[in-house]
Amino acid sequence: MTAPAIQVESISFNYGDIQAVKNVTFDVQPGEILGFLGPNGAGKSTTIKMLTGQMAPKSGVARILGKDITADDPEIQAQIGVCFEEKNLYLNMSGLENLDFFASLFGIKDADSMEVLRRVGLADRAKDRVHSYSKGMRQRMMISRAFINKPTVLFLDEPTDGLDPVTSAAIRKTIKEEAERGAAVLLTTHDMFEADELSDRVAFINEGEIVALDTAENLKLKYGKRSVKVRLRDGDGVREEHIELEGDGSSARLAELAASPDLMTIHTEEATLEAIFIELTGRGLEG
Amino acid sequence: MSRPTSRPALVGALLKKELKAYSRDKIYLFLTLLVLIAIPVAYTFLPTTVSETITLAVSPPVTSMIDDAKDSLRAMGATDEQLAELDNADLSQQQEGLQLIEFDNEADMQRVIEGTLEAWRTDDGELTLRDKEAGEDEPEGAEKLGLDIGIAFPKDFITDVAAGKSGVTVTVYSDANVPEEIQGAMTSFVREAAYQLAGRQLPVNMADEQSIILGTDRVGDQVTLKDKLRPMLLFMVLLMETFSMASLVSTEVLQRTVTAVLVTPVKIGDFLLAKTIFGTFMSLGQGLLVLFLVGGLTVQNWSLVLTVLFMGSVMFTGLALYVGASGKDFMGQLFYTMLFTIPLLIPAFSVMFPGSAAVWVRAIPTYPIIDTLVGAFNYGATWSSSAGSLAYAAAWLVLLFGAGLFALKRKVETL
Repeated sequence: MTAPAIQVESISFNYGDIQAVKNVTFDVQPGEILGFLGPNGAGKSTTIKMLTGQMAPKSGVARILGKDITADDPEIQAQIGVCFEEKNLYLNMSGLENLDFFASLFGIKDADSMEVLRRVGLADRAKDRVHSYSKGMRQRMMISRAFINKPTVLFLDEPTDGLDPVTSAAIRKTIKEEAERGAAVLLTTHDMFEADELSDRVAFINEGEIVALDTAENLKLKYGKRSVKVRLRDGDGVREEHIELEGDGSSARLAELAASPDLMTIHTEEATLEAIFIELTGRGLEG
Repeated sequence: MSRPTSRPALVGALLKKELKAYSRDKIYLFLTLLVLIAIPVAYTFLPTTVSETITLAVSPPVTSMIDDAKDSLRAMGATDEQLAELDNADLSQQQEGLQLIEFDNEADMQRVIEGTLEAWRTDDGELTLRDKEAGEDEPEGAEKLGLDIGIAFPKDFITDVAAGKSGVTVTVYSDANVPEEIQGAMTSFVREAAYQLAGRQLPVNMADEQSIILGTDRVGDQVTLKDKLRPMLLFMVLLMETFSMASLVSTEVLQRTVTAVLVTPVKIGDFLLAKTIFGTFMSLGQGLLVLFLVGGLTVQNWSLVLTVLFMGSVMFTGLALYVGASGKDFMGQLFYTMLFTIPLLIPAFSVMFPGSAAVWVRAIPTYPIIDTLVGAFNYGATWSSSAGSLAYAAAWLVLLFGAGLFALKRKVETL
């Protein structure tokens, strides 16, 4: 097994009396996407701020590529890419100028900023100033800026928050490509579909604590129901039947319904990530 | 692929970005051009000569006072020769440097000084009074007189002083806006006038003379308003640059672009250094340009002027960092800029009023800078004569610039 790109051991942070992050432990392997799922104020952004060197943990240890983040080592910063929740772009500069500037901070002499913009579908607006960009375009700019140094570790804080489905899908595609390239990705989101689609593993964070960490599949198996929902024609109406897969005689009943001429559809009833989150924390993800 | 970047290269990249951001903002460009054009143009139209004539109100008219005194003095046994000396003492006949406006009535003179009555002089020299509040029209073909100070002599002043009478009181009326030092100068003037009339020190009761520093006697070689204003014009450049720089810093903080920069190999020290270099050299560059346009680089000790300008640029950049870290929007920016820079401009204004640099003005951080500039521009100040001011300025510079750096660093760290 390779060394984790991100290794976090019991880090904590508090804003005065408010404990934002409590003894959080996890790791992310190269090429892996870890979805950090939690509602607003759960401690997701604070965790990213600590891991990107914006603030130091009050306790615990965190390493990026094997180096302690509190060492303030420029080598770490050179290997990471960050997409912030706030769209903190230079509005009076063009998209191309924004990327060229950040490339220069990473010491990249011949940055192919245009190619990066092409990947996120902004090549035709490359020379327009960012203040003329739409919300979706700015978000794509944020993503492209995080990619400009071909990072080994990517921190993506709510990368598709508030975007339309088409833009969100485009951004998810580029995130997958980065992971396939070998980047370790820590993705914070409160969108369960996004976490489910992108993440290799999912961490549920609530009130600063990780309450569950596993693959989405395992979490669903562990916390979801093993049942199917069968819909059948019933005269002029529709009738539904739920069959527990682990009950006695469930297989025979399912076979019987499957052979019925009134059968319309059969759906598995696995739990959604949101349902599991609610079960574990007693609250929803949009809070 | 990224690779380790040297600190100078990082600062260079940040400076390039600062220049781009500055040049793209229409407000900064407008302010810069306004200053660079307006200041030299305004300077061109400032007067190059100095009026050395003092206008003074007096009551009663000196001639009538002398005429009245002659009869009494003759009765007291004065000779014609002694009486003729009185004519020589008639101040109203001395045209050079003194213009007397004579009032028959002390009450009228008092009202003119107070501003409740207007004094006008017609082409033929007649004094006309106008009560504006009573609805009187402006006299035609007449010039309005600006009188801020007047002297009221007792009716028998000359006779009384000649007789050696004690307790003679001369009243000096002064508008509240007249600086204390000028009032003191007038008191001295009355004392001198009385001395001229009596030919000896008189027991005239007046307020104790103020202790004032008049500086070098520059009669006939006065410093023109144009020359006096050069340091202030330079400060206007620094003020505008402070606002622009503070806005640049504030934008970076409020839009949180600084956070994006600081997750790259850039350290907060690189960020602060780039801001300092950019702010200082923008101020210095524009200051130099304005200095060139107003002839400030032709002074004898130009190296002293440049040094002080550099110190002022760093000081104001420190202020801009502080303001930039404090302001929350454009209006907040403007408010904080004005709040901090207007007090710093007071010493620049004080140079227009010689001798008015009160102790509290000297305590303002920009005073030693202005003092050195005025000295270098107008009085041939040297490095050694300015050493004290330079040391004082350096202490303030360290304090203000340090405060600016600390405020911005703390702000960025807590974003």
